[in-house]
Amino acid sequence: MDSSSVWVIIPAYNEAQVIVEVLRELLDYNPSYQVVVVDDGSSDGTAAIARNLPVHVLSHPVNLGQGAALATGIEYALRQKAEVVVTFDADGQMRPQDIGTLVNEVVDGQVDVALGSRFLTSAPEGISRMKRILLKLATVLTRITTGLKITDAHNGIRAFRAEAVRKLVLTQNQMAHASEILSEIARNKLVYREVPVKIRYTTYSKAKGQSIFNSINILFELLIGGKK
Amino acid sequence: MTPVKIILILFLLIVLRMFLVQKSLTVIKRVVAFLMFFILLTLVLFPDLSTLIANFIGVGRGVDLVFYFSHLFLLLLIISLWRRTIVLMTDITKLSRTLALQNPNKPREQKGQTDDKAE
Repeated sequence: MDSSSVWVIIPAYNEAQVIVEVLRELLDYNPSYQVVVVDDGSSDGTAAIARNLPVHVLSHPVNLGQGAALATGIEYALRQKAEVVVTFDADGQMRPQDIGTLVNEVVDGQVDVALGSRFLTSAPEGISRMKRILLKLATVLTRITTGLKITDAHNGIRAFRAEAVRKLVLTQNQMAHASEILSEIARNKLVYREVPVKIRYTTYSKAKGQSIFNSINILFELLIGGKK
Repeated sequence: MTPVKIILILFLLIVLRMFLVQKSLTVIKRVVAFLMFFILLTLVLFPDLSTLIANFIGVGRGVDLVFYFSHLFLLLLIISLWRRTIVLMTDITKLSRTLALQNPNKPREQKGQTDDKAE
């Protein structure tokens, strides 16, 4: 398969500080990937900066949340005849080479979805004890609610076969989308495999990323939000 | 008439007026607004009536009855507003997504058309 039919979706909200570096690293790794930056109503010129690079830029007129931005990017990629759709973060936590691993898993490994996991091999460095406990709890909750046996429920790096991602119904605009994607994988009985990836915890990404208290919000969103 | 009755009646009149100035209101809603107004007006003028009703359904005082029911009513109101917010949010999401998909900014030179292999 030609790697130009691999579409990498990057939701970005006020990431002007790091977006260039993240995109450059990604394009250096594989210049033929189609990269879609979904600017989620940023106020710091993230979209304008991204437009200077050879990537697709979509802009939400208002801030909707990471889940909504991902869904927009996925829809766009599918319309452009993507064969593999990858979700990736804009904050520089993820390594481009892990995309290669995940894509190979989908292309050669005959799975519908390849999910990145921080915990498959050795424990990641720089992760706080509290965060590790919460992520562990999230996997237990995922197992109870969806039956999926995974080691990392809230990792944003994933690769989907186009036919598989088309089946997902995504309604969670905010952070609960990560759990929603998993429950959709379970509902559609997609074939999935976890793949070890590395997450780089930088000072920037720690400041931007999920505070551990937000897990309560995510739970709340899942219980009440989104669905009518 | 005690001052509190005057304040309450004035308040009821203002609320009634706020309802009735809305041109889009259906006839049924107008009638309901009037009915509510007269029921509340009666309760303000003859507060002992509420105690009568309260005793009838097993509540000690009229004030308590009003207190319980106003809480239930407010809860219903919050739920219906919350549901409406979700509907609105869903619509805004659709709208934003349509706009975003209509105006994509594509990379200048179409790259990746070479036969790079990802394998």
